[in-house]
Amino acid sequence: MALMITCPVCGRRNGYEFRYGGEDKGAYPWGQDMDPRQWAEYVHMNSCTAGVQKEWWYHRDGCGSWFTIFRDTVANVEVENPEERT
Amino acid sequence: MFGTKKPLWGPQPEQKKHYDAVLIGGGLHNLATAYYLAKEHGMTNVAVVEKRFIGFGGAGRNTAIVRANQRTQENVPLYKDALDLWPQLTKELDFNLMFNNCGNVNLMHSEAAMKAARMNVSTAQFLGVESHVLDAKQTKELVPALNLSQDITHPIHGSMYHPPGGIVRHDAVVWGLAKGAAKLGVDILQQTEAQGISTRQGKVTGVDTSRGHISTPKVMVSAGGYSAGIISHLLGLKLPISVLTIQAMVTQPLKPLLNHVVSSGAYHVYCNQTLKGEIATGAHMDPWPNYTTQVTARYIKHQAEALTEFLPCLRGVKFMRAWGGLADMTPDMAPIMDGNDPLDGFFMNCGWGYFGFKSSTATGRYMAEYMATGECPQRLRPFTFRRYEQHKLMGETAALVNYTPDN
Ligand SMILES: Cc1cc2nc3c(=O)[nH]c(=O)nc-3n(C[C@H](O)[C@H](O)[C@H](O)COP(=O)(O)OP(=O)(O)OC[C@H]3O[C@@H](n4cnc5c(N)ncnc54)[C@H](O)[C@@H]3O)c2cc1C
Ligand SMILES: [Zn+2]
Repeated sequence: MALMITCPVCGRRNGYEFRYGGEDKGAYPWGQDMDPRQWAEYVHMNSCTAGVQKEWWYHRDGCGSWFTIFRDTVANVEVENPEERT
Repeated sequence: MFGTKKPLWGPQPEQKKHYDAVLIGGGLHNLATAYYLAKEHGMTNVAVVEKRFIGFGGAGRNTAIVRANQRTQENVPLYKDALDLWPQLTKELDFNLMFNNCGNVNLMHSEAAMKAARMNVSTAQFLGVESHVLDAKQTKELVPALNLSQDITHPIHGSMYHPPGGIVRHDAVVWGLAKGAAKLGVDILQQTEAQGISTRQGKVTGVDTSRGHISTPKVMVSAGGYSAGIISHLLGLKLPISVLTIQAMVTQPLKPLLNHVVSSGAYHVYCNQTLKGEIATGAHMDPWPNYTTQVTARYIKHQAEALTEFLPCLRGVKFMRAWGGLADMTPDMAPIMDGNDPLDGFFMNCGWGYFGFKSSTATGRYMAEYMATGECPQRLRPFTFRRYEQHKLMGETAALVNYTPDN
């Protein structure tokens, strides 16, 4: 199914213009004294949610922005922030 | 199962209140594990719980390619064990697994790729696996349909030829192992979803399924592409896995023209001619996690373009069917097999991406040993999930077709 992604600069575009940048794992852990286990957790480990997740994308064939969206990994469609839905 | 005939593995048993081990996921790895638990370790009070029907996952969707020409010294021996098992299992299960060791030809399209092939071949030869480097002319002698023209996107420089690999009938392996395991007393519980894993003081105590609670001291999660999601959502243990959908397709049946499995990393294509005459081909995935198992027009088109460049005789041939399945990819292209860590009695066997069919039987056998004895067999030790925090990632990333969100 064709994935469409909303770039904050360019708007809704074909998903193949973008590169997936991984699950959102919170802020980069600058300056924290991390042991190798915590570092591996941040770099490699994923939740692999079957459902809605927050994730990073990069507009590779466009403006070059990095941004986050919410996507349903089962339907493979971008969705609204589930917390903002009432 | 859906008709009036009884399945080979007998009628569906009642779910018992207690098992000595519960295996979540009715794919090849768990069916093999169950079979060997019963056969080689006398553990027969074992259940395989399957949410849908056995073979629903990668077990019934893969393109059936088997080989043992991987990149690293840790990986090759495991795959070699598996290659050696097919003829043995065919006899043992009294079930024709249709092992066709036609050999694999991996096309190389640059001098750099030829160098990589030399390295792979050296590893294989060092470990006693037959593998050769061929130049373009020798490759053409083996596969006369190949296009050696310089006037294609990726001209062929040569290949890596691995005679002992080939194709095994994947459904037959599912049915044969299920029949073999059930005969030894294993309960295969279909339409039974694992919904919870209960633990107490760092030990596994049971599994909740859609049919009720089971008490058990040992649980294995080996549910193909679903494993990482199950493990992270039932136990809170995150794994270095991304789940993508991989696509495959077959053409209309043709007269015999391909006697080998032919693959190309540069074109992102592998293909072989089935015994029915169809060209079975695949290898593409959308590089973002999704559980859709859907096919896309983009890759059907790509597949047609790529195939007809290096096998021009396929021009005008029609695709008859296309399908998708899940591939649970790790950053180093090697699986994760572990046990009793971080929970006693918890075992996992996943991260098999799009290459977990060929190894399923040997892996199942080793995992059975691990579950029965509590000791990790030597072969499996490098595959611990702790390798990530130890910075000991495996070098399989140099594998032939590398397609993950990490590259
Ligand atoms: C298109 C495609 C082509 C491939 N080609 C090759 C190839 O040529 N060579 C090769 O070696 N490998 C190949 N593979 C990879 C291989 O098929 C898989 O690595 C392998 O089948 C996965 O292991 P499995 O059979 O044990 O799991 P699967 O068959 O994936 O089994 C997982 C099972 O778990 C069940 N399940 C999920 N959730 C639950 C739950 N909560 N409770 C109970 N059960 C659950 C599912 O219904 C499913 O039946 C390919 C895969 C695909 C998709
Ligand atoms: Zn943009």
